[in-house]
Amino acid sequence: MTAADKQHALSATDPRESGTQLRAGLWQTINERYPGSMIRKESYVGQARLAKPLTECRLTLVSSCGVHLKTEKPLDVCHPFGDFRFMRVPSGAKHEELIIHQLKYPHDDADLDINVIFPIERLQELSQEGQLGELTANFFSFIGYNMDPEKFERTLAAGIAEAVVEEEHADCALLAPA
Amino acid sequence: MSVPYLREADAQHDVEKLVRFVRLHLGDGNETVGKEEIDRSWAETIKILLRDQPVDREFIAQVLEKDEATLALLFYHLHFYLIRRSGRWIHDGSR
Repeated sequence: MTAADKQHALSATDPRESGTQLRAGLWQTINERYPGSMIRKESYVGQARLAKPLTECRLTLVSSCGVHLKTEKPLDVCHPFGDFRFMRVPSGAKHEELIIHQLKYPHDDADLDINVIFPIERLQELSQEGQLGELTANFFSFIGYNMDPEKFERTLAAGIAEAVVEEEHADCALLAPA
Repeated sequence: MSVPYLREADAQHDVEKLVRFVRLHLGDGNETVGKEEIDRSWAETIKILLRDQPVDREFIAQVLEKDEATLALLFYHLHFYLIRRSGRWIHDGSR
């Protein structure tokens, strides 16, 4: 077996267990910890068709990555059930103006370039190039960790949906999970 | 271990389930690690108090006047504060 083969053999193990950032055992209890949080087949909601081309659409971005402006207080990462609030992120913000506060996932790479998880500057470029009609004034961010799916839907998700439709008048939304 | 699961455990006075949830939360999915983390935060309080520095008991009295939901959440914030001070950080996210 060559060194490359050995490397391949190593990578064939579950990367979630062999990685350097995630601790052993993290995934062994995942189904016990989040059984009520998983999306079920009966929860499926079909995507709406765009009524007009993307070049004419007003697009927003919604992410569970927990990013926010450095000038704002972060969401609560300590609460054992999660923080059911969301943050507005100005769509014109730059990487250096933003910060991620999270406890439950590694964001070292996103700290170097926020666009890997919250592609705000890529969307700014697409908008400037005319490939998107325009961006909403604000994008949205929240902490994905939560232990109460019913409250999540009733508060946080409903709040973002209302803001996206009533305040930002978005035609479509890009959803970016963390 | 959703909130409905925890409410049911609370109604049945099943403290073991509640404790397991807390340990898994603080240990990021590993109950043994979570127990160690809790022990470490308590040990950190002793290390600090051993320095015998002045304390603001008036502030503590004011804090304890707050509602119990705020105090319960403050307990978690204090845990993570002490864990950060200890110098060993097991979590994937922000220090």
